[in-house]
Amino acid sequence: MFSTTTGPLKAVRAHRQELVARVRVLSVAAAAVLGLIAGGFWYVQVVRGSHYAELAENNRLRQLTVRAPRGLIYDRHGSTLVENVPSYTLLLDRARSADLGVSLEFAAAVVGRPIERLEEEVARAHAVPSFEPVPVARNLTLGQVARLAAAGWEHPELEIEVSPLRFYRHGRQTAHLLGYIGEVGEAALASADGRLRPGDRVGKDGVERTYDPALRGVDGERVVVVDSRGRTLEEHRRVPARSGRRLELTLDLPLQQAAERLLRDRVGAVVALDPADGALRALVSSPAYDPNAFARGLEPEQWQELLADSGDPLQNRALANAYSPGSVFKIVMATAGLAEGVIDPDRRVYCSGATTIYGRSFACGRRGGHGRVDLRQAIERSCNVYFYHLGQTLGIERIARWARAFGLGEPTGIDLAGERPGLVPDPAWSRAARGHPWYPGETISVAIGQGPLLVTPIQLARMTAAVANGGRLVTPHLVADPDAAASARELPLAPGLLAPVREGLADVVNGGQGTARWSARSDLVRIAGKTGTVQVVGRSAADGKERPEELENHAWFVSFAPAEAPELVVVVFVEHGGGGSRSAAPIARALYEEYFSRHPDPAVAG
Amino acid sequence: MKSTSRAIPIPPSLAEERRPLSGLSRLDWGLLAATLLLAAVGLATVHSASAELPVDYLPRQALWVAAGLVLMAILIAIDYHTLIETSLPIYLGALALLVLVLFIGVGPGGTRSWLGIGGFRLGQPAELAKLATALLLARYLATADRRHLRMREILVAAAVAALPIGLVVAQPDYGSAAMFVPLVASMLLIAGVRLRHLAIGVALCLALGALTWGFGMKNYQRQRVVTFLSPDSDPQGAGYQVRQSKIAVGSGELTGKGYRQGTQSQLRFLPARHTDFVFAVLAEEWGFVGAAAVLGLYAAWILSALKIAMRSRDREGILLVAGLVSIFSVHVAYNTAMVVGFVPITGIPLPFLSYGGSFTLMNFAAAGLILSVDLRRYVNR
Repeated sequence: MFSTTTGPLKAVRAHRQELVARVRVLSVAAAAVLGLIAGGFWYVQVVRGSHYAELAENNRLRQLTVRAPRGLIYDRHGSTLVENVPSYTLLLDRARSADLGVSLEFAAAVVGRPIERLEEEVARAHAVPSFEPVPVARNLTLGQVARLAAAGWEHPELEIEVSPLRFYRHGRQTAHLLGYIGEVGEAALASADGRLRPGDRVGKDGVERTYDPALRGVDGERVVVVDSRGRTLEEHRRVPARSGRRLELTLDLPLQQAAERLLRDRVGAVVALDPADGALRALVSSPAYDPNAFARGLEPEQWQELLADSGDPLQNRALANAYSPGSVFKIVMATAGLAEGVIDPDRRVYCSGATTIYGRSFACGRRGGHGRVDLRQAIERSCNVYFYHLGQTLGIERIARWARAFGLGEPTGIDLAGERPGLVPDPAWSRAARGHPWYPGETISVAIGQGPLLVTPIQLARMTAAVANGGRLVTPHLVADPDAAASARELPLAPGLLAPVREGLADVVNGGQGTARWSARSDLVRIAGKTGTVQVVGRSAADGKERPEELENHAWFVSFAPAEAPELVVVVFVEHGGGGSRSAAPIARALYEEYFSRHPDPAVAG
Repeated sequence: MKSTSRAIPIPPSLAEERRPLSGLSRLDWGLLAATLLLAAVGLATVHSASAELPVDYLPRQALWVAAGLVLMAILIAIDYHTLIETSLPIYLGALALLVLVLFIGVGPGGTRSWLGIGGFRLGQPAELAKLATALLLARYLATADRRHLRMREILVAAAVAALPIGLVVAQPDYGSAAMFVPLVASMLLIAGVRLRHLAIGVALCLALGALTWGFGMKNYQRQRVVTFLSPDSDPQGAGYQVRQSKIAVGSGELTGKGYRQGTQSQLRFLPARHTDFVFAVLAEEWGFVGAAAVLGLYAAWILSALKIAMRSRDREGILLVAGLVSIFSVHVAYNTAMVVGFVPITGIPLPFLSYGGSFTLMNFAAAGLILSVDLRRYVNR
């Protein structure tokens, strides 16, 4: 034990060894604690290292989808129907906003929309991680974008995103035909086997829907390294997107536009196609909707408005609505009578204006009767009595068989969704669907296209094409299929058998007593056709009185031209249009004139 | 004890160690080497952690290290007895600065822990207060001449620590305030405390802790403890730091991602990575190998220092070194345990690695004091 002093302070050595012993304990304790901590690092870095390595990878790598540009769509002449235009969306990066209220107030002021709208958008994105910007306003104008850019330094939390927007250049004119795109639904998502992801935009109707897989292309992806604020620092991996296929339709844009103009204020449909192969030249349903509103994203009110519209603008009347064909069905009847050998085209039938079959009186369209008419005249003048007797002779089974041979009662196979099969009634159908036997009198109604028989405009266009092309049932289509002509179904018709029918159809327009001689005859091209008038209310109920529009008859006009070498089939249907001759036939004539002024008919021109 | 003799007979065991050369040759090169290596690792890691920040803290930290080396050299040159003699004025001066900082101090979020002139931060008086408290306690407890401290002596020592603790809590800087506890506790324990007194002390600490949780803590501080217990409960908030730190450390795996290749650090996922969480950067980039090596350096530093304490000739030397090593060790243990997610987050930096002026100076000063104690074990007075 030493005892010293160093100046005023005593260097104290009392119990030094005991202190040293305690320091030794401290050493052991310190070593133990550090050893324990090292063990902790071993556990976290070595035992659980791969787990944290994965978390770190997820932290820094972010997978971004590179949207494939959707394929553009053109008409047969190469005119653009659909293109992609830049659309500007305002994004809000909530993590960078000092005060959401202030940010939204500023944004609302610049885009001129109520702040509640923007708040709703933010609320809707509550599940989005806070580092991901959320859209608060879509479809900004360039002016709004410029104003936002000018204020960018003040509000770095507001960003502009440019994304492609589907732009339908002709809007309503091609609405039902092209359809529109929208966010993929949950059902479609479930059945897509992972080829679609939530938020993907897919074709919802028309060509956009049918050819969606081709148009959509294949999305690529970018895997980027991001920092803790989600900002991209560098690209890690890139799989380029494969853009969607360019689609050229068989459509003839000027004809389509003309058809839409002619039908604009009416309710109905126009179908025009090439009888040789079924290539569609025009397809219009009226009223139409604005597909660009869908592309921009419908407001809920707009959607409700569309659904509530009594004109049902979403319905494609060319193929999704079925109507009675009226006298247009006489084409099927005439062909069936000839093919079954039950009529001689030259044999005349006397029409007194009415006839009595199965103890019931059936009236002709012409009160005083047509007198003695052969097949050609019966078609020209649309004599009901002639076809009543033909119907009685053929019977419902044979009528139904020939109606089906012309493609009625089944979808045409057009490359557009939503097609209705229509209805070809027969006794089997009657028992199954109505639960009572077929009444013989119904056969007589069906013979002139009334009764339970239901057809779509596209079916009648296909039927008319078969008459025009000599008996081949083609498949209507908008995208050229090289096998389309080859796959056409041949009707079992003897050569030349259709000649009297076609002559009769030519007389309808060009004959002295044709039902459409005033309304469809053209100096430009020789048109053949058949009018049809569908009674909306019973003849007696409405007889001789002025009818309100909703009780007016539906009007049909099916036609082809040039009559001798048909290049174009046009079917016009006008709901409550009055007679086929009065409202439907003039539309068809205008369309032929439009078409053949550009494609001169050699027979007339020469 | 009473003696006036200046000549000390050298015990046979120490005689062999006596070297003819004086001065530097007698320095404990192990402690010095550990200090310098840790400072070098610190500079490299601070650079890696802050190179992507608007400010690279490497030059500033290098300046502090340089200042620290000078300070260390000065303190080695001065006989620690001289400092212990003047410990009361030093302590009072430190208290004065702690009072001053309450009025003119600056700091983040309304705290007042920095002395500054204009925008320039001179330093944290709390660091100086730790050294001053260690010196004064060494002086006071050295004079105790019984096997165990008397109750009165314990209370006086507690009061010596309580004054700066109270002033630092007032800033408020709870992390720094807490560091006085291991200082005073270790020095009391080394000086000798009866089991009975120890039990009373522990009970008092527990009671105080409970009271603090109930009344003395702010909500964000309680949140930190809750977050520590369940870090995933709040991924974007307080738990974020713990989680990102664990990811950084864990993803370093055995050998690390390489210097300046740490994704957590370089991509800014990890906040406070050049200060309190600098060890996470090191562990991410150098893996377990690097983390264990640096922990080994700390162990070497601590054990070398304690060895110096054990061969010190007098009570004040032993107590001073033990007190300084305790602060140092608790910093190291708490900070590394915090980085790996074992303890709640508190602002406790890592000696020699974390960026920070006063703190770096304090650690170099501690090393200087300890080396000074070692150098004077042969001085015969």
